[in-house]
Amino acid sequence: MSELFSVALFWSTIRLSTPLILAALGGMFSERAGVINIALEGMMLAGAFTAAAVTHAVGNPFVGLAAGMAAGALIAAIHAVACISYKADQVVTGTAINILMIGMPAFLSGAFFLSSGSTPQLPKEDLIPWTPIVIAFALVPIAWYVLYKTPFGLRLRSVGENPEAADAAGVSVARMKYAGVLLSGALAGIGGAYLSIGQSSLFTRNMTSGRGFIALAALIFGKWRPVQTLLACLLFGFTEAVSIQMQGVVKLPSGEDIPVQFIQMVPYLLTIIVLAGFIGSSRPPQALGIPYQKER
Amino acid sequence: MKFAFWSTLLMLCLVAALGASCNRASYGAHDKSKIRVGIVFDIGGKDDRSFNASAWAGVSCAETGKWPDGTDCGKPALNIVARDIEPGNPTSIEPAMRAFAERGYDLIIGVGFAQTPIMELVAKDYPNIRFAIVDGDSALPNVALLKFKEHEGSYLVGMLAAKANKTGTIGFLGGMDIGLIHRFGTGYEEGARAVKPDIRVIKNYVGVTDAAWNNPGKGKELALAQISKGADVIFTAAGNSGLGAFDAVEQAGKVDGRATHLVIGVDANQNMVKPGFVLTSMLKRVDNSVYSIIEDVVNGRFQAGLHVYGLDKDGVAYAMDEHNKPLITPEMLQQVEEARKKIMSGEIKVTDAMDKK
Repeated sequence: MSELFSVALFWSTIRLSTPLILAALGGMFSERAGVINIALEGMMLAGAFTAAAVTHAVGNPFVGLAAGMAAGALIAAIHAVACISYKADQVVTGTAINILMIGMPAFLSGAFFLSSGSTPQLPKEDLIPWTPIVIAFALVPIAWYVLYKTPFGLRLRSVGENPEAADAAGVSVARMKYAGVLLSGALAGIGGAYLSIGQSSLFTRNMTSGRGFIALAALIFGKWRPVQTLLACLLFGFTEAVSIQMQGVVKLPSGEDIPVQFIQMVPYLLTIIVLAGFIGSSRPPQALGIPYQKER
Repeated sequence: MKFAFWSTLLMLCLVAALGASCNRASYGAHDKSKIRVGIVFDIGGKDDRSFNASAWAGVSCAETGKWPDGTDCGKPALNIVARDIEPGNPTSIEPAMRAFAERGYDLIIGVGFAQTPIMELVAKDYPNIRFAIVDGDSALPNVALLKFKEHEGSYLVGMLAAKANKTGTIGFLGGMDIGLIHRFGTGYEEGARAVKPDIRVIKNYVGVTDAAWNNPGKGKELALAQISKGADVIFTAAGNSGLGAFDAVEQAGKVDGRATHLVIGVDANQNMVKPGFVLTSMLKRVDNSVYSIIEDVVNGRFQAGLHVYGLDKDGVAYAMDEHNKPLITPEMLQQVEEARKKIMSGEIKVTDAMDKK
């Protein structure tokens, strides 16, 4: 057991939480503005691929990080145009983006690297294992401040809660929604970039493996609030870190290994227990998912 | 609303075009004088620098006489046309196989055990087309099974791991928790124990779904966890996820110019991925098996059923090249070579984890 709870577990938790925090905070800005964002996964993939590809080309991971951020925002722009300007169904558009982003990196890596879904491996000097972590944790108080203490945050929230009232008060609903969605793409892009140029040293196809959806779950779990969302991400990161540290170490009293399948259930089990037992009801922004039609 | 509908439709078409076929050439290969070979890769994709890459190398060698990187593969080009498909997700495997079958390909190769049930369905519908599956099982009269004695190769790299080991603990990082991967793990452990009977082997698996092959982030975390528990050599059998272990040992760094922790690659030769940090690679010569089944079809000697590649037929081996030469002493090499001969002669029996049940 002493092997289980250690400094390694702490850092592992931090590393595993970082991409979730970034994507979940991104999702928060979008959903607080009333736009459902299940495309976080796709935006992360865009960020991950672009960051690795640009870092490989330029040799500077910070440029890669910025490019990953921009790529996330670009994909978010597609979501924004479809959902806000053309009032498409937000879930359908998000799903389409996720599927598109399974194929797009494969397609582009074929064009750039004669590969089919991965980028060349980056040397260790070109990686930024710490920057995205710092950004993620610094962003939580910033996001809180922006959301609750600035006029921008107030308008963003009002658009998500009651767009008619916001509109009547002179807030441009569409512009606020665009801002929210683009911000979500940029943040999810950083989250993805962390996976490819922070934690690993290359992009491989589908490397997010569902982290975008976990981030979304953390956002709901955290009641669309920055600090609670951070805690939810840390919980997910912690349970996964525990399951990683447990594997092959913790044994049954009989001396046999605990089946891997069971250990990998642990994060989800814990989540259900916490969700059911301690959180209470989670109320989404009132106008979430409803396209806003300006009255004439 | 209309625009939204059409834009969504357009997007879905784009998705279909991108997701289903990432290959650059079309399915249709019209030259009837040549044998036509279609290969459907596993979810990892042909650039996993590992299992699929090895299968791709075999096809490339058969088609052009060259490895995918353009160097000579040492075997003659066969008179074939090859087309490949990389399914973006498990549901696109069956349409891909049927597309080849529908166009009357002579041989369709499926890469990876996960395609077995799909291939059985398709092979039943097209009894006149020859199929080959890597790592799969089937009793159909038109399906060849390309299998490997991974446990024998893993035994040898396990010996090397134990020889290079200083801490008394080594690690094994598998992709999915399945029989095939246990075969690697069990052979590895036996080989290590043959050198150091009381060595501790930590075995971890990335996941229980096929996403486990594509999660280098988690692979790295597992490798770091093994390192924190004292493992100084880690054998990966986890596709793309295994690349995370390469990052982990590199992060652990070097002392006096020598890596403190080493990784063992799998399937293809991964020694060059992080030179100096890779002890060796357990080669699973999928390329040889794919080449020879294509050769059989070309020469009209195709046989359904089991084709087993062990140490004897150069089916499994450990990789030695200029990248890992400084890490392996002549004494280590000599001991492993002796064991190799003993396994081939039957003097050493390596447990096959898939035989147990």
